[in-house]
Parts: sequence; C-alpha cells; structure tokens
Amino acid sequence: MIALRGLTKRYGDRTAVDGLSLEVAAGKVTGFLGPNGAGKSTTMRMIVGLDRPSAGAALVGGRRYGEFRHPLREVGALLEAKAVHPGRSARRHLLAMARSNGIAAGRVEEVLALVGLEGVAGKRAGSFSLGMGQRLGIAGALLGDPGVLLFDEPVNGLDPDGVLWVRRLMRSLAAEGRTVFVSSHLMSEMQLTADRLVVIGRGRLIADAPVAEVIAASSRNSVRVRSPRAAELAARVRAEAPRAAETRGGVEVVRVSAEELVVTGMPVDRVGWLAFEAGVPLLELSEEKASLEEAYMELTGASVEYGAGAAAVEA
Amino acid sequence: MAATVRTRARGGERAGGGLPGAVAAEWTKLWSVRSTWWGLAGSAALMGLMSLVLASSTVSNNTNEIASDDQGVVPVSGVAVASLDLVQFVVVAVAILVITGEYATGSIRSTLQWVPRRGRMLASKAVVLAAVMLPAGAVLGAVGTAVAGPVLGGWGRFRAVVAVDDALQMGVYLALVSLLVLGIGAMLRSTAGTLTTAFLFLLVVPMLLVNAGSAMGRHVADALPSTAGRYLMNGDGPYPAGAGAAILAAWTVAALWGGVLVLRRRDA
Repeated sequence: MIALRGLTKRYGDRTAVDGLSLEVAAGKVTGFLGPNGAGKSTTMRMIVGLDRPSAGAALVGGRRYGEFRHPLREVGALLEAKAVHPGRSARRHLLAMARSNGIAAGRVEEVLALVGLEGVAGKRAGSFSLGMGQRLGIAGALLGDPGVLLFDEPVNGLDPDGVLWVRRLMRSLAAEGRTVFVSSHLMSEMQLTADRLVVIGRGRLIADAPVAEVIAASSRNSVRVRSPRAAELAARVRAEAPRAAETRGGVEVVRVSAEELVVTGMPVDRVGWLAFEAGVPLLELSEEKASLEEAYMELTGASVEYGAGAAAVEA
Repeated sequence: MAATVRTRARGGERAGGGLPGAVAAEWTKLWSVRSTWWGLAGSAALMGLMSLVLASSTVSNNTNEIASDDQGVVPVSGVAVASLDLVQFVVVAVAILVITGEYATGSIRSTLQWVPRRGRMLASKAVVLAAVMLPAGAVLGAVGTAVAGPVLGGWGRFRAVVAVDDALQMGVYLALVSLLVLGIGAMLRSTAGTLTTAFLFLLVVPMLLVNAGSAMGRHVADALPSTAGRYLMNGDGPYPAGAGAAILAAWTVAALWGGVLVLRRRDA
C-alpha cells in the first residue's frame, strides 16, 4: 500500500505537487490521471525517493523508500523507459539490478521471458525501440517480485498487442493482491484497466474514487425521456431539482421536442420514479453515460481554467 | 502470467543487498560498457608510447653535444612515473564516466532506485574504482618500466625493489585520484565539466603556480593533490612520501564527502 501524506514539491516559487494526501490500496489497479504538468511523474519520483519532498511524505507499507534494505523487492517502478545505459545489454542491466538487491540471477531470465525480450537480451539497450525499452522497464519493475508496482505511462510506444498485454499484466498483478499504481493519459485505456482513479490537477487532488463513481458524477451523464406529457414531467423534474443532491452542477431539463426531454444532473432511476409518481406515461427512458474521457475533461478542465480545482469527489 | 505468481520471497530477508550488493552491481555495470575496456586499454597504450618518448628523449639528452641537458643514469620506473602526468587523464576519464555517464544517459535514476541511500551508492562506486585502479596503476607502472628499460639501455638503472615500489605507488595514486574525480563528478554531474575541472586542478593550476616563481605559489602547489601524488611517487618533495599520500587522501575524502552532500540535497 502506498500512502501520501501532505506530499508537496516546490521548485522555487512553482508548486508542482501541493499537499497531496491519499492512499493507494493493494489488490487494485489505481489509475493516476491529470493533465501534462499536473505533477504525476514528480509524485511517482518522490515515492521511490528520486526527488525529495519539500514537505510531507510518501510511504510504502508505512516506510520511506530509502529505508528498505531491498527496495526492489518492495517496489517495482517503470518511470522512464530509457533510464538504462545505452551501451549495456538488457541482460547485464537486469543482472546488475538483481545483484544490487540480492535477487537470484535466475530471476533475470524469468523476467526477460515474461516480457518477451529473451531473444534480444544480449543486445545493447541503446538499439532498442521505444516499445522494447518499455518492456525492459517492465521487466525491471517485476524483477524483485515486489508487492507495490508503479508504472508511468507504461503503454507509451507499444503496439496494440503490447497494449493488451500490459492491460492483462496490470489486472493479473492486482489480482495477485499487489498494489498497482499506473499513470496514463489514455482515458479509454484507463477505463478498461483501472478499478479506481486518482485525478490531480496543478498538483492538487481533484478526485479519488472508483472509476464508475467518477463517471457517474459527471454532469455529462444524461437521461433521455419521451412522453406524450413531456411538459408536465419537465415541471415535476424541475420542482425536484433542489433535492437532487447527489449531483454537482444542478439539474438541467431541456425540451428537445414536443415529446422529448433531456435531463442532466439527475439519475435515471429518479426520473423514472418521478414519472411514476406523477402518473405520466413514458414511451422511452434511457440513460446516456459519459465516457471516462468526458468525465475527466470536465474534472481537469476546471483545474486548468481556475487553478484552484473543483470540489473533490469523495469516495 | 503464471510466472509472476510467486509467493514473495520471505526467506533470506536480510540476505544480499546493502553495500556488498551495491558493489556487486557496480562491478557488473563497470565491465558491461565498452568505455571501460577502451579506456583501460588506451591508458596502457598511451603509457607505452609516453615511456618510449620520454626514455628516448633521456637517451638523446645524454648523448647529444649539449652538456646542460644531461640527465645521467635514471631509474627506469621513474620514466613510468613521469609518463603518468599525461596518462592519468585517460584513467581519470574512465573514473569520471562511472558517475557522469549515468547522469548523461539517465541511468542514474535506475541506480538510485536500486540503491536509494546516496552515501552507499557513491561508496559502492568508490570501492569498485579503487579495486580496479589500484592494480591498473601497478600494471601501467610495469608497462612503462618494461618499455623504458630497453630504450634507456645503460642510461637506465633498474632495481626490482624500486620498480615494484613505484608501480604500487602509481596504483595508490591512480586509485586516490579516481576517487577524487568521482567525488567531483558527483558534485558537477557533467562529463565535460568534471574532466575540465580535473585537468585544470591536476595539471594546469599546479604548473602555473610553480612557474609563477613565488614561494607562496610553490607552497600552494605543494598542497594540491597531483603535486602531493608526485612527491609520493618520486619521494623528492619538501615532505615525506607518506605525507604526500595523506594530503592526496585528504583531498579525496573531501571530494567524496562533497559528492555525498550534493547527492543528498539535489534531486536525481
């Protein structure tokens, strides 16, 4: 488990990470999202002790990264694919890595096979493509068989096969009870891979909730209603609006045509019940869900526009 | 994915890792890049060449018409020591790359994930460099002596004890200078910057100070690491060879300490 406690990183007068407090639970894939420059990479670098926090702490299993005798057996991280000396072979790189943490040399061949690099293990890492570099980075992250894994943009440069492979790998690592914390800018990928999302903007926490909840909270979720007494239902929904506390941004009712309404900010169940209570016949009642991408744009759009960040969606 | 499903190795929790693990990793890294092999081979080749040139020049000085430049009979291994003035920079380049090469390639961020303790990380590099440069210096001494001997012929005085002593002192000097530039490299992080600093500090500044002719300048030069190292190897300084070793070692410790402080303060 990863715990961030008021984690802060300042560069001069710029605050890259601003009092971030959250926990990343074991047994789940937690997606880490935010616009470029939101502080995702800086946060990950602080977790593995590459950058020193200006304030607060990043703890793994209650300890700082630097306190581990065998850090690679606790935390595996793919931060930059090209953090490898280009003149060194993949095998030698992993072998040096294994020796540093008392990991059996046989494990090197295991992870090379696991990521599909056994055929090029003797080649200089500098000759690797971006995708092969990512695979080598993933091999390194898995080398110590750690309980906590960090991946910064792991599917960068991978072909569709590779993307699918990474998705399955993340899912299986989480299923084994490991903590998987993965940043990405590919929303569709996150929607498929992650159980939970942490969204930050300008270094601050915007959302920390299950994927389904983040999507449900989006104001772009809408309900389409078709009824011969549409006007009557519209009035009923508007009257109910102040009590629809579960959605942010209020309730909006648009009468698209004589028979058709589009309601945003109210769950579909509620609209159905209101119609029933009012005795209004329904010809159609359907939900149009926002994609994660839309929900994300809405969340981070606010942080980019106003800086201070929107209200956090508490889990 | 079954291969990753392994119960996490609980046994041997204290085994491996630590400083010995870090040293083993650095050893593997040092020998798995070509620059190390090229650098060490290059230093031996340059040592042979320099010793050839210096020995030939001694012979010609002794046999030409001009009496004032006569050097007489010289110790053979002294030619190797004199050649080291220049040859050391090839060795120094290998030592510098051990740290600045990692900053240039970004692999320092891997290294620090494996060994997050800054002091331990630099110590492991220092141990490996010392273990390599000590014998390397002795080998260079042997190469220089072997080349200079036949060229000098009767103008050379060879005593095995002196030759072995000089070779070992060259090893000690190169090991200490390698650690000195390792410390500077950890502070500056750039290969070019560190090499330039080493060149100025080890060669240019002492030369200028001595050539300035003032007693003050000479005293300052005597306290610099390369001058102290030369007195260590030649035994012709204003202080004993042991003091020369101590001065050089003090500079080395200071540079390494500075390196650790910078590593701890600055982000990787």
